[in-house]
This record gives sequence, structure tokens and C-alpha cells, in this order.
Amino acid sequence: MTTTLPPRTTTGPADDAAPRVAAGTGSPATRVLGIGALVSSALLVLYGLVISPADAEMGDSVRLMYLHVPAATYLYVGCSITTIASGLWLWKRTPGWDALAEAGAEVALVFSVVTLGAGSLWGRPTWGTYWTWDARLTSTAVLVAMLVGYLALRRLELDPAARSTRAAVLGLLLVPNVIVVNRSVEWWRSLHQGSTLVKLHPTVEGNMLVALMVGFIAFGLIFAWMMVHRFRVAWLDQQADRLDLEAALAARRAESRTADAGTAPASTPEVTS
Amino acid sequence: MIAMTHAGYVAAGWIGTAVLFVGYALATVRRGRRLSRQVPPEDRRWS
Repeated sequence: MTTTLPPRTTTGPADDAAPRVAAGTGSPATRVLGIGALVSSALLVLYGLVISPADAEMGDSVRLMYLHVPAATYLYVGCSITTIASGLWLWKRTPGWDALAEAGAEVALVFSVVTLGAGSLWGRPTWGTYWTWDARLTSTAVLVAMLVGYLALRRLELDPAARSTRAAVLGLLLVPNVIVVNRSVEWWRSLHQGSTLVKLHPTVEGNMLVALMVGFIAFGLIFAWMMVHRFRVAWLDQQADRLDLEAALAARRAESRTADAGTAPASTPEVTS
Repeated sequence: MIAMTHAGYVAAGWIGTAVLFVGYALATVRRGRRLSRQVPPEDRRWS
């Protein structure tokens, strides 16, 4: 190898001298996504907290549904991305799929916190409790535990390929669990209500439906923005690890060459009798 | 001020969600900036 790779460093004077062009994970596309996410979030606040009326039964706690339902949907999307990317990593061994799987799991975990948090806050005034070991809630808790386990597995000090393979095997199990979570209200007796949006006959209408739709759009844009940035972080992490390894190998080769030169025949003392 | 039932729960949910999203977004961007200093521009395909 003829290229000399710089050692991996954190911050310092050399960093200040580095070119500042497009540093980070941003790009024109992510800026457009970010602006879209901010605008749609402002609309969500307007519709969700001001325009949407209170529900006849739930009162104003229905406003938590504009967070909970979209968050749960994108939790499923994130898990599905991880499962598909994990399968493709196991098949193709392309680093990009591994980075995508990692990004999907982490962003799904963020949305799972919103799903469970908003759901629990809605449950307290509606059901009288923050949490119950209902089929939907329990299966969601298992899904969150799997996501935490997946991300913990990715942080183990192992050979990167072996670590990615083990994580990918766990990643394959996410979608089957998503199916269990989604169908749990039908398969078991559950306190949790069924689907809010059933095909073309939703159980909400008017400005409530508009608020929910705006929630889907806003969370979708936020999800996409987070996914792109997190994927790029995972990609950069892989590249930095590769550069670290190559720099370490180059240093080891240089050491061996120095040692070989030190033990060359010219410097060997002659044995006299 | 808009009169609202369960206002504490609604506020906690919305504010908590906003704080989580903004916090995670900032942490991700900061992590990306730190890592991108360690990687040459040619390895950053989007730049």
C-alpha cells in the first residue's frame, strides 16, 4: 500500500486547518428535509393543540394521539428497515446495509420512546393507569427491549464483521415482533383499542383526522431526516474504523522494517577465534 | 389561554417529544461533525 493514512484524532489544531466544506452529515437534500420537518411540525402544533377539537369521551388527551399513532407507525418502519437491511447485509456483506440497519434500529428506538411515553400519558386519564401488562403494551415493551439489545450488541468489542453478523441475526427478528405487536389487539383480548385508521373508513374525522394526517407527515419528515443523518454517522464510523486499522497496520509494517534494518548482516559483529 | 382538560399530560407529552427529537437531532449532528473530521472528504459521498 502506498498511501499514508492519517491517524484517527479527535479535535485539535489540525482539525482547524482541515477544509470546512460540507463537514458533517448535512447536504442540500437534508436541509430541504429539515425545513420540511420544521414547517410540518409547526402545522402539527397548530392542528394538534389549537384547531383540533377535544374528543367527546377522551377530552383533550386525544391530542396525545397525534403523537402516539404516527410515532408507533414510524417505529414499525424503522424496525422494518433494520430487518430488511440486516437480511441484505447477511446476503451481500455490503457495509452500507449494515450502516442502514444500525440507523434504522436507533431511530426506531427514539420513536418507541415517543410511542410509549405519549401512550402512557394518554393512558393515565383514560384507563386510570400509566401502564398495564396488556398484550399490545407488553409486546411493544418486548420490541423496545430487542432494539436496546440490538444496539448494545453493536457496541460490543468484537471483530466488526462478527459483531455486524450477530446484530443482523437479531435484526431479522424485529419484523416478526412488529407483526405480533400490530396484530396483538386482534389475537388476544386487549385493553388497547384497534386501528384508528382502517382502510378508507377511519374512526376519526374532520379536523381530528387532519391533525392525525399532519402528524404522519411531520413525523415522516423527521424520521427521514434522522435516518439520513444517522446512516451517514454510521458510514463515517465505519470509514474511521477502517482508517484506524489501516494506520495501525502501516505503523506495524514500519516497525518491522526498522527492526529488520537493525538486524541486517552488515551490523552483525564478526566472530573471531 | 386555551382551557384544556388533562393539560398536564398533554403538555408533558408534547414537550417531552420535542425535547427528545431536538436532543437526538443535535447529538446526531454533533457526532457526525466529530466523525467527519477524521474521514477525508472523498470518503464522504454526500459532500
